[in-house]
Amino acid sequence: MTHLTSAELIDAMEGMLIPERAAHLAACGACRRRLDDLSSVLNEAKQVSCPEPSPLFWTHFSHRVRAAIDTEPAESRNAWPSWLRWQVLLPFGTMAMILMALMLAVPRQVATDSSENDVAVMDTPAADSADALEMLVGWLDLETAGAAAVIEPGFVEQAFLELTSEEQQELARLLRAELSREKS
Amino acid sequence: MPHESALAIAPWTLCVVTQTPLAELDDSALVAAALDGRREAFDIIVERHRRSVYQVCYRFVNNHEDASDLAQDAFVRAWKGLRSFKGQSALSTWLYRIAVNVSLNKVSAKRAPTESIETTDQFEDVRIEGAPQAILRKERAAAVRRAIASLPDKQRATLILRTYHDMSHQQIAEVLGSSVGAVKANLFHALTNLKKILGSEP
Ligand SMILES: [Zn+2]
Repeated sequence: MTHLTSAELIDAMEGMLIPERAAHLAACGACRRRLDDLSSVLNEAKQVSCPEPSPLFWTHFSHRVRAAIDTEPAESRNAWPSWLRWQVLLPFGTMAMILMALMLAVPRQVATDSSENDVAVMDTPAADSADALEMLVGWLDLETAGAAAVIEPGFVEQAFLELTSEEQQELARLLRAELSREKS
Repeated sequence: MPHESALAIAPWTLCVVTQTPLAELDDSALVAAALDGRREAFDIIVERHRRSVYQVCYRFVNNHEDASDLAQDAFVRAWKGLRSFKGQSALSTWLYRIAVNVSLNKVSAKRAPTESIETTDQFEDVRIEGAPQAILRKERAAAVRRAIASLPDKQRATLILRTYHDMSHQQIAEVLGSSVGAVKANLFHALTNLKKILGSEP
């Protein structure tokens, strides 16, 4: 039978050699010597200690890390409110796509409202939410859109119920700000 | 390694996260909380992993000053890249990967000849053995450190993670972004080279 390969010698050193090869190892002096060499050099490396810093060092270290992070540019921080994570945006994106599809399927009844009416409509929370959903479609990134393809039925409705009307209005405000920032 | 992460959490989970004391959260929940704007959540992550991150850095540079700088750098990079942590592996695996990368960048820029190897045994009590044995032991440890420092990067990283962090081949493969087969090959070559180098030491 052939001698152990390098991978099998490593398996043997870790105690993971398959029984058939272990039988060869037991009967082969050359393989046992190679295994002993590997094991002894690993054991010698293990003897080299790493000094343990004083307990005070760890507190100092944490302060250092915090200070270093605090000097990082602000754009790496999260500027969006806590409830507006992608876990929330994801179902809303899906819902927006569904609504957009419905809007395209149903003929528009009023297409010639005055500009004053537009402003008035935009001020109502319900219109704000619908507007926010429409904007979401343009805002969601590709990764989120990809994930949306595997979203479970019912998740959209559930996520919608998670937001208060104030949060829906805030969502609309943020999206408008985001879109105007992208345009500028 | 503890705390397998799953970042694909539902919105209502965030409510639970914001109400639970941070120290009681697992790593994936801490990451979610940190991304959610709770800066203190990242402090807990640092507290939990600082020792292992420092130790892996130390094994590459063999001195406290550089190891603490590298460990700090690793955590700053982790903070900046936290959004890219997808939770497919444990947070500890991801942090090890960053620590190995910053360490390899450092030692590649400043290769073995100029590397100052700290005499780490300075804190050890030599009274328990005779002075000659203690000196021999220190010299041998320094020789092993030099030998490890002279290994090619992948072999060195594999040996460090296996020997000093007791990682499985699968975990090492995840940290180094390689296959289990490559880990076994690198470990075999690392040990073979180490034996050759130490065998030629006076
Ligand atoms: Zn054999």
